[in-house]
Amino acid sequence: MSFAWRAAGMNYLQYSSIAARALRRVAKTELQAEIAKREGLAVKYAKWDSGKAGVSAIVPNVETRPKADN
Amino acid sequence: MSFLARTLKPATALARVSRLSARFYASEAAAAPTAGKLVVNFALPHAAVLKGVEVNQVDMSAVSGDLGILADHVPTIEQLKPGVIDIIADSGSTKYFVSGGFAIMNPNSVLNINAIEAFKLEDIDPQAVAANLAESQRLASSAKDEATKEAAVVEIELYEAIQNAFSAKSK
Repeated sequence: MSFAWRAAGMNYLQYSSIAARALRRVAKTELQAEIAKREGLAVKYAKWDSGKAGVSAIVPNVETRPKADN
Repeated sequence: MSFLARTLKPATALARVSRLSARFYASEAAAAPTAGKLVVNFALPHAAVLKGVEVNQVDMSAVSGDLGILADHVPTIEQLKPGVIDIIADSGSTKYFVSGGFAIMNPNSVLNINAIEAFKLEDIDPQAVAANLAESQRLASSAKDEATKEAAVVEIELYEAIQNAFSAKSK
């Protein structure tokens, strides 16, 4: 069973963070201050070969809302 | 030098024996649940929603289908869909909407639920859901690349699941 998001080139980390961010957006406004502290976290990974770390990269977020211009 | 090596050997043999009897998993230390009850550990990255709580039943929405877990359920690992987790204890039922995650049922009637985000239905704003659903639908139809379109589809699924949860609650 293959997921549509995996067929589109997404990995589980990206998929789960899309769902998490979507849910955070609709929480009540009283909770938004606390929620803001959880945003902006990313997963960094590096491929290891023969005991040596390769180039490290950050798993990019698939953005679905335009960035607010502050 | 060789007599030093011989005296060192017994010490390491003892160390090996004591490590064999050591406990490796924290879950083994937890008290076994009373008969007919589940122990639920429900954790988010930023908070432990439930820890070691005894309940009767947990209903959840998994990718393989909706399921209700009772004590002594067959051990399983389920990937959760965005949906409601209903935790039914003697004191009543508590519903959380989760963005996804995993539920791991252990042989000793301990259920571990991991999710990234979870809110009670009363902490979710229905107008925000309707507005964001419309925005995601708009994005799904206008997106130029596959990844953005699929991301919008994921969001639509989540927001529709929330709306279903709200309408199921009001029935």
